[in-house]
Amino acid sequence: MLNIFKKTAIAGAMILSAGAALAEYPEKPIEVIVGYSAGGGTDVMARTAAPFIEKYLGEGASLVVKNMPGASGQIGVTEAANAEPDGYTLGTFNLPGMMARTIDREADYNRDSFTYLANVVNDPNVIVTSKASGLDTLDKLLEEAKANPLAITVGMSSLGGDDHFALIKLEQATGTEFTIVPFKGSAPARTALLGGHVAMGILNISEVAEFQDQLNVLGVATNERSQFAPDLPTFKEQGLDLVNGSLRGFIAPAGLPEDVQAKLIGAFEQLSGDQEFLDAMAATANPVEVVTGEEFKQLTSDLYDLANGVWQTTPWN
Amino acid sequence: MYSDLLHALPDVFAWTNFAAVVIGVIAGIVVGAMPGLSATMAISVLVPFTFGLEPLVALGLMAGIYNGAMYGGAIPAVLLRIPGTPAAVATTFDGYPMAQKGEGGFALQVAVVSSSIGGIASAFALMLLAPPLSKVTLLFGPSEVFWVAVFGLASIIFLLGGNPVKGLISACFGVFVSVIGSDPIYGNDRFTFGQLEMLDGINIVILLVGLYALPPVIDLLETPLKTDGVNSSKLGTEPIWKALPRMKSFWKTWLRGSFLGIWIGILPGAGGSMAAFMSYNEARRTSKHPETWGEGEPEGVAAAEVANNADTASALIPALTLGIPGTAVAAVMLGGLLVHGLQPGPMLFRDNPDIVFGFMWQFLFGAILLVLLGGSLATNSFARLLNLPRPLLGSVIIVLMLIGVYSIHGRMFDVYLMLGFGAIGWVMDRLKFPLPPVVLGLILGGFAEENLRLALRIGRGDPMVLFQNWTSLILVALTVAVVVGPTLKKRFIDSRKKA
Repeated sequence: MLNIFKKTAIAGAMILSAGAALAEYPEKPIEVIVGYSAGGGTDVMARTAAPFIEKYLGEGASLVVKNMPGASGQIGVTEAANAEPDGYTLGTFNLPGMMARTIDREADYNRDSFTYLANVVNDPNVIVTSKASGLDTLDKLLEEAKANPLAITVGMSSLGGDDHFALIKLEQATGTEFTIVPFKGSAPARTALLGGHVAMGILNISEVAEFQDQLNVLGVATNERSQFAPDLPTFKEQGLDLVNGSLRGFIAPAGLPEDVQAKLIGAFEQLSGDQEFLDAMAATANPVEVVTGEEFKQLTSDLYDLANGVWQTTPWN
Repeated sequence: MYSDLLHALPDVFAWTNFAAVVIGVIAGIVVGAMPGLSATMAISVLVPFTFGLEPLVALGLMAGIYNGAMYGGAIPAVLLRIPGTPAAVATTFDGYPMAQKGEGGFALQVAVVSSSIGGIASAFALMLLAPPLSKVTLLFGPSEVFWVAVFGLASIIFLLGGNPVKGLISACFGVFVSVIGSDPIYGNDRFTFGQLEMLDGINIVILLVGLYALPPVIDLLETPLKTDGVNSSKLGTEPIWKALPRMKSFWKTWLRGSFLGIWIGILPGAGGSMAAFMSYNEARRTSKHPETWGEGEPEGVAAAEVANNADTASALIPALTLGIPGTAVAAVMLGGLLVHGLQPGPMLFRDNPDIVFGFMWQFLFGAILLVLLGGSLATNSFARLLNLPRPLLGSVIIVLMLIGVYSIHGRMFDVYLMLGFGAIGWVMDRLKFPLPPVVLGLILGGFAEENLRLALRIGRGDPMVLFQNWTSLILVALTVAVVVGPTLKKRFIDSRKKA
C-alpha cells in the first residue's frame, strides 16, 4: 500500500519535472509595459493586439498590459529596456519619439537597449493648410515658402516628434524654411488651424480624416495611398519624396533568447494577415503596417541617424 | 446645435447613469454638511477613482456631488454657524439666528429650495451658452488665450476680496508650480531635480488633493469639535409643500441671485463665496426692511444659497469652451473630463456630444433632485451627520486620498508629492492665505506661458502680435479695469468724503 503511494508520488514528480523541461515559452503571463495612459493611441494598439498575439503564441499564453505613463513615454520604455530579458516583459515603442528622447535629453537607454520585435502601426503624416491661408495646393504652398522664407507658420505637436521630422524632411527636400509653432499635442494644433491662427499644419492622417471639409489636406507622406483617405494623393505622386509617420510597435529588452525572440516575432508576423485584427485596428483609425525584427531595427537606426544629424546642425532645444 | 442636447437625453436615464447622480447628490450633501470638507475636496478625492468608470457615471457622480455639496454647506451654517463650505459663509448671517429662534427647519428648507433654483438656472445657462460659445472659441488663438489667462490671474488676485497681497503670493506659488516639468515649447527640464516623474509637470489632481483635502482633515483630527445638539433637536420642520408658499416673495431675490451667480461663475477667478456675498448684499440693499437682516431674515438665506449654487454649472462654460475653468471646483471637474478623453474646445461638442450634453442634463437633474433628496425628512437625518465621530471620518478620508492619488499613475512618488502639498496647504491655511489662487495660478500660469510663447513664435518675435485684433484689445481693457478699478473706486470715494 505504502509502496503504491511512493511509486505514484515518484511517478508524479517525474511527470512534473519532465513537464517543466518540455514546457515551452510562455509558461506565465507576459507583461506589456505601455508608457502612456490607458485609452491613448499606443494603449489602444497594445490592448487590441494582445489577444491576437496570445492566439499566435499558442495555448495558455496571456498578455497583461500595464500602463506606466509619464515623460512622453520615457518612463515606460526605460522600465522595459531595463527589465529581465526573459520574454516576460515587453514594451511598446514609439518612433521617432523614443529615439529623439535619447538625443534631446538624458535617457537611460539607447538604440542598442532593445530586442526589436515588430512595428505595428504607421500613422502617416499629412500636410494641411487652413482655409484662410489660400494655400490650397502643394505647389502654391512651396511657391510661397520659397518666396518668403519663414513666413509660413506651421502648427504641430511637440518638437522632436514625427510631425517635426516630417517638416525637417520637407525643408531638406525642397530647400524651404518654415516657422515652427509647437503646440502641446495635435488637437490644439488642429484647432489653431481651423481658426486660421497658423497657416499650415503637419498632423497624422488619423487626426484629419474627419476634417477634410474644413481644412485643405495637401497630401499624405506614404509610398502608397492610405486606406483611410483613398482620394488623397501621396506626395510622391506630386513629385515630392516625402515619407514619414508616427510609428508604434513592440520591443523587448536586449539579449532575448533566440528561440523566444523567434517565437514572438513569428506571432507578430501573423498579425498583418489577420483580417479580424486589421478590422479592429481600422475601427480605431490606426493604420497597420507590420515591420518585424531586423527590418524594424534598421528603421529605428535610420530615424536615429536622421534625428542625430539634425540635432548636430540645428538642435531643437 | 441644440438637437444634440435632446439626443443625449435618453442616455442620462440609463439606470447606472441616473443612479450616479442620485448617489452624487446624497454624497455631496454629506460632504458639504461636514464643516471643512468642500465640494472641491470631495471631487478631487473622487476623480482618481472614476478613471475606470463609464464617462457618464463618473461625470454624473461629480455633477451630483457639486450640487449636493453647495447645499450641504448650509446645514452646519444654519445649525452651528459654521459654514460647511466657504461659499456658505453668507448663509450663517440669517440662517443661524433663525435656528436659534427654532426656525432651523424652515431655514434649511429655504436653503434647499434656493440651492435647487440656483442650480437649475446655472444648468440652463451652461446648456444654452456653452454650445454657441464653443464656436466663438475658434477666434481665440494663442494671443487671445494668453490674454484670457492674464485676465483670469488679475481677477483672482484683485477680486478675491480680503487681502490682494496674500492673493498675489498664493497665485505666484501656483504659477511657480506650473513652471515645474518640461518647458512647453522646447521640452527642457525645469525644477525637476532629475526626477523623471516630474517631467510632465505637477498633476493638478495631486495638488488639489493635497491642498484642499489634507488641511481640513488635519483640523478634523486635531479639534474633535463638540456638536451643539440644541439647534438640530429643535428644527421645527414642516413638509416642504407647506413651507413653499412662505417663499413666494423671494422670487426677485432668486432671479437676481441666479444672474449674479451665473455671471460670477463664468468669470475666471471668482467663485461661489463671492457670488453669495454679492447676492446677499444686493438683496439686503433692495429690501423694504433691511434692519431685520442679520437677525433671522429667511430671504437672506435664500439670497446666499441661490447664488452659491448658480455659479456651479456656469463655471464650466469657460472650462468646456476654452479649457479655462472659472473656479477651483470647475478646475477639478475639468480634470475629470480630461481623464475621460473630453478635450475642451470647439471639438468637444462635435466629437463627444452625447457625453458633454449628457453631463449638462445630469447637472440639471442633480439640481432638481436636490429638493427631493434634501427635503424635510432627509435634511433632518443629514443634520445628524454633524454628530459623526470626527477621527473616524478623518481617517477614512486620508485612506481614500492615499489610494486615490496612488492610483493616478500607480506610483508612491505622487503620494509623497501630495503629502508635501498638503503640508504647504496646511501652513497656508493657518496663515490665512487663500487656496483657490494656487490652483488657478497653476492652470492659468501654464496657459499664459505656453500661449504667450506660441503667439510670439507666430509673430516671429514681434510683440505687436498680442494686440492685433479686437478680441485681444477687449481682453486687455478688461484686465486693466480689474487691476486699477478697485483703486480708482477707492480714490473716488475718498475724494468725495473730503469734499
